Formats: sequence, C-alpha cells, structure tokens
Amino acid sequence: MTHSLNEIEAIAKRAARGSGLSWGLAEEAAKGTRWLSAFDLPGAELLAQLLVQNDRIPQIDVSPVSLSAEVWHAPMRRMSPLIAGASLSDCAQSLLSRGQIIMEDVSFPLLAVPFMGGASLRLGVPVAASWDDAHFVTDGKLLCVNAAQTALAVDRANTITFSTPAEMSGPREPVLRASVSSGAWSQLAAFAHRTYAPATEESRRLGAGAGLGDND
Amino acid sequence: MNEIPRRDPKTVMRLARLGSLHQSRLSFMRILTRRMARENWRFEKATFEIDDTGVGHAVLTAHGPERSYSLIAFAHDLPPEKRSDRVIAEAWDATFTLFDGIPTNDDIERLSRNIPLQEAGRVTGTELSVSRANRSVRLWEHVVSSLAAGGQPDSAQIDSVGYLMRTTAVYGSGKLGAADREMIADRPEFRAPFQVEMLSVYLTRWFVTELVQHMASTRAAANGTTAARLDPALARSMGIGNSTGLGMAPFLLNHPVLFNNWMTARENAIQSVRSLANASETEVTRFRNLIARSSQTIDTWHSDHPIQIEKLAALRADIDLITIYLKNSNLTADHPWDRLYRWAEDTLSLEGQEWVASLMLEPYGDLVDGFAEHMAADNTATFRIAGAMTVGNLRTLLTEIYSWAIDTNWSAPENKARAWYVSEEKLEPRLGERFEEPIEEYEQPLAPGRDAAALYQSLAHWPDDSHVSVFLLRHPEHRHVLRRTQIVGHAPYAEIRDNTISAQVLPIDMLRCKLSFFGATKFDPRSDRWVRICMYGNAPLPYELSTDNADDWVFPQVKEHAA
Repeated sequence: MTHSLNEIEAIAKRAARGSGLSWGLAEEAAKGTRWLSAFDLPGAELLAQLLVQNDRIPQIDVSPVSLSAEVWHAPMRRMSPLIAGASLSDCAQSLLSRGQIIMEDVSFPLLAVPFMGGASLRLGVPVAASWDDAHFVTDGKLLCVNAAQTALAVDRANTITFSTPAEMSGPREPVLRASVSSGAWSQLAAFAHRTYAPATEESRRLGAGAGLGDND
Repeated sequence: MNEIPRRDPKTVMRLARLGSLHQSRLSFMRILTRRMARENWRFEKATFEIDDTGVGHAVLTAHGPERSYSLIAFAHDLPPEKRSDRVIAEAWDATFTLFDGIPTNDDIERLSRNIPLQEAGRVTGTELSVSRANRSVRLWEHVVSSLAAGGQPDSAQIDSVGYLMRTTAVYGSGKLGAADREMIADRPEFRAPFQVEMLSVYLTRWFVTELVQHMASTRAAANGTTAARLDPALARSMGIGNSTGLGMAPFLLNHPVLFNNWMTARENAIQSVRSLANASETEVTRFRNLIARSSQTIDTWHSDHPIQIEKLAALRADIDLITIYLKNSNLTADHPWDRLYRWAEDTLSLEGQEWVASLMLEPYGDLVDGFAEHMAADNTATFRIAGAMTVGNLRTLLTEIYSWAIDTNWSAPENKARAWYVSEEKLEPRLGERFEEPIEEYEQPLAPGRDAAALYQSLAHWPDDSHVSVFLLRHPEHRHVLRRTQIVGHAPYAEIRDNTISAQVLPIDMLRCKLSFFGATKFDPRSDRWVRICMYGNAPLPYELSTDNADDWVFPQVKEHAA
C-alpha cells in the first residue's frame, strides 16, 4: 500500500505536535518528511524514531546554543535535526556569507537535509550536506544522493557540514508517491493521537452543531 | 481621475463581508463549464448496471482533448435511520470516485470494496477524488412516483428543494490515498483550484438524473406501465445539493496563500472593471439583464435560519434601491462602474455590495476571466521563514496587519470563548467552548489574531536590529504565527482580519466564502456552523453543454409576468 504525500505530511505534523514540538516546528517536520518521502527516502521512519527519542523533553536541550558559533551544538550534546534544520533554513543568508555551517552530534541527520532545500530555494544556489559516507546536493527541487544505505539511516552524525554553492550531479526527480512501513506509520499515529480530543456526546452535539434531521 | 485602487484588505477580509460573498465569473464551477464547452468535451455513459432495488454501479466518462476522466458511482439501498449528512455517518445513498482515465474491470472490483466505505477504505494514485451523497427523501420520492405514474414532477416542489441528492463530502488532494494535487496540477484542465471536485460533482448530477429515471422506469414496469421521461427543463433545473459543516471552515486559515490568490483574483477583477472610463450599450444592457435574472435567484432563495433571513431581507431591500439607481443612471460614461460601486458601498448592506461587485464583472469576460489562471498556489517558496528579517521590520509588519488584534483584550473570556480542536472520532475539526469543555490542550492554531498579539508582546523587549532567526531559536512557540505574518506581508488577502475564537464568531461566514468561490448559490444555514447549498442548478447537463450555455446558466431566465 502506498500513501499520498499529503497523508504523510498530515500525520507527520500531528505526530510532531503530539511529541511536544510547537506548531511551527511541527509544520517544519511535516514539510521535511514529505520532501524526503517524495524522493523515496525513509523520512517517516526516521521521524518516528526521533520523536520517540525526544518525546516531551524540553526542546531547548536539543536546540543549537548559538547560531553565530563556529560549530553549532546543543547543550546536551544531541541536537534535533528538525530544530537545527529549521534554524539552518532561517540562516540561509549567513550560510551564503559564511560558505558553510557545521553541526555537531546531530540525531538522525537525514531529517536535516530537507531544510537545506529550503535554504537553497531562498538563495537560488544549490546547497550540499555531508556526514560519514553520505553526500547530498539539492537546489530545492531535485536531489543528488551519493550515500551508502547504512549512512542514510544512521541515528547520529558526529559532524554534518552544510555548504554552498555546490554542484548538482546526477539529480533525482521526486516520485510523488511513498510507502511507509506499517511500524513507522503506527508509531506516528500513536503520537498524532495525542492531539485529538476524546469525543463526548456533548462535543458531538455542540462541536459540530448540526442537530437537524437529514431525512428531508 | 485618480487611479482606482484595489479594495483594502482591512475592509475586504472581515468575516461579515467574507460571509456575504456571491459567485462570479471566477467561480470554479463556471471556470470548468467554460473550459469543457470551449474544448468540446465529449461525455459517455459507459456503464449503468443498477438493479431494480437501485443497487449497483455506473461509469460516466468525460473525454477532454488529451485525457479522459470517469466518475465511478456506486448506488446503495440505505435505510432511513442511517441517513446522516454528518461526517460521522457510515453509509450513504450513493458513493463516488473520479478515476484518472477509463477504469478496467479490476479497477471497478477494487474500488467496489473501498469507495462504499469512504473514510474506512483506501484508494490509489489513479483516483482523484472520493465522495458520497444522500437523497433529498422528499423530492426523490415525488419525482420517482410522478414519473412512474406517467406524469411530470411539480416544478414548485423541485424549486423548493433544488436537488435530488446532496453531497456530504468531496475529498480530493491525496485524501484516503488518492492522487496528490502535485500529480495533476500541471494539466491545463486542473490548473485552476478544485477543478477535480467540480468535475466530480458535475458528473454526479448527471448520474443522479439517470438514476431517478431508472428507478421510475423500474417502478412503472412493476405495475405493467411505462414511466414518463423527465422533462429536460425540469432535469436542468435541479442541481446537486451540498451539506457542509465545520470540516471545511479552517480551510481558509490553513491555506493562506491559496486563499490570498482567490481573493486577489476577484479584487483585481473588481478593480479592473471599476477602472473602465466608459461602458458600451451592449455591456450595460448585459449588466441590466443579469441584474434582473440574478434577482430571481434572490427571490427564490429560502432559508429558515434567523441570520440568513435577516441578511436576505436586507439584500431584497438593496435590490429595490439598485433598481431605482439603475433607472436613474446612465452607465455608459464617467467611470460608471466605479460610481456604481461607490454608491453601493455607501448605501447597501454587505450582501448587496458584494452582489453588485460580482455582477459588475459579468460583461467583461475578456478582462476578467484571465485572472482565473492565477488562483492556484504553490506554497513551497512562501513556507520558508526569512530569518534575516529584523525584529524592527517584523514589529512594523505586525502593526500593519494585526493592529485590530494587538488592540484586543485577550484576557477577556468573550474574546477567546471558543477553541478549534480535532476530535478523536473522525479526525475532523470542531469548535468548542474553551471554558466549558476540556479541549484547550488540544487547540489547533486557528486563532491568528490572538497568536499575533502574543508574538507582538513577546517581541517588546527585543532590540530592532536583532534577526528573527535568533528570536525563533528562543521562542519556537511563535514560529507558526511568525511564518504567517511574513506570508501576509507578501500576500495581503491571505489573512482574515477578525477574531476566529470569539463568542460571536460564525463559522458559516468561512463556509459561505469558500462555497461562493465554488460558485454556489442559495446558501441555507442550518445552524451557525452548518450550511446547505445548491451546485449546478440550471446548468446544462453534459449532453446539452455548449459555448452558448456554458457560462450564463447560473442566472435563471426572466419569467414573464402578466402585466
């Protein structure tokens, strides 16, 4: 069974919110997961693992300490790829002037990759990322991947280097359809479920407000 | 004469006005019927396998210049106690999918196991929409029994309901596993918004007229007689109803760029027409003619809801004033449309102002219809936050867009009495009482005014030259509304400039606004958060569609009155 990208974005947003992220960061997580899924990369699977790891912890603990530091790191030495990634996208201009931004001890680094797509769209030049044996370049629309399967799905990178400008070679087109493992889907659904208010007879009546017969 | 500006978003984007919008040349139904007629689409009843009890399936195919699309309809025998328009329903009189191309028997077999289940089923990338409909029990039985007895149904009864079936949801854009909009957005026929859904409903209406005829013929045959053929004019007079609840209300808030593009297209059109220095006799005659025809729609618009009854009374009084104005005015010279609009703004209710604004566009297809090309949206570019923006510039933007919200007392309970949340039951948006129900911890971000005011407060002690990227690192809770503010900075019609959680908020205003862009008429609120409408009433059926009737059908022909 395949999923539409809209379904993936919708469940990722609710799941990220359910794990304790702000709505704005949940939107980033959702767009990023959708973007990875469109390129047939395991975005939903890694998001599910990240949300388990950071479930309801204070987000400040896994956020970059400073955006002007030479190397970005988090207070607890384990940085969220979503928060660091969102900051990377926000700092697109300084990425261009600095030439590179280095991050240390990033969880599930693949989840940070979509944000360089956002940065690239803003700057109008391709952006590259690498860790271990994984190398990516994107212009925001197409993605060049040069990575061993094992390096793609690592749960932690000691160092990620983002740099611009970069050269696009052998780009992939997005596929616009995705398959998500049922384990990951259930995990995301469990997080998403936390955002739903339990139904009561009163909410059925008041909340939707129909209250008229429909056999007319 | 100075250049005529576009109307100010601060005026346009108020809920009371958005809840008074009327259909126009830029409505999605009319964009579709114009295209299908212009391109000479062909329509085919490929399959109609419905038994004597009304159970079975049908395939109705629309052939465009490059591609074909098939409505696959499943007809069911629904016990009355299961008939509900609510999203919590689990069975319907008929269920549908719009299929991309021509389905094989395997496709039909697969879909027969999924489409009747609606939300509990799954579809694939070859399906473009999933929808369902319930009968108007009253009118359905009247039409079947009249035809079966060899006569025609009573036109007054038809007019009082308007439709044989009403849809209760039409899902597109990837819902339930269907194709994402990105898969089809580059096809010219789907470039404008909601064309998949509008095509699905158009074919659904055809299916319903075929089904009612079939049921009448079956009943007559059982009595050893022959049913009458439904009179084509009566068939044409019936549209498809639509029953819409809160599920649709947050759409305008959740798709700010798309909403901006709809509103901008209409505002650009209004500005263009108001800017014309003169009008020809032909154009003026056409306008006067359509005012008369559209007045008939208003005459037959019925609602039992107190809010709409009051609005209708005001609109009917407005029409009397307009009639007098038009009698005494020369509309050919001296910026006639701008004069008319400014008079309307000073004189009429919001319903009347927006009715005139929509009708002014009618004589000017060449000037107006092209704006439809810019109504779709691709959010990719606007989603990213510009982190290099300074706090000073953000503050300025907030005071320009959200001054009403910054000046609102958000600690007063009546200003935040409601909260939007998603229910566990059907994963649909609902609106609850913040201080009476345990829902606040589940609140959805659908109160941009309150959130913008909170952002403004949090920025108070930050220096003007800080970058918002640094602020957001410390305040991720403001990321959502900060993004929104930047979007509205580029897209001024993206934001509703009103309180969406106050004790007085009327969700039907949001529903009406969206449905007016679909092209709906005769809005009939069933409560403050539930509305019924009619779609495609008086539209040519597919086999009648031509360039002569593809656009004007929304206006009934003037009935001759005895002098």
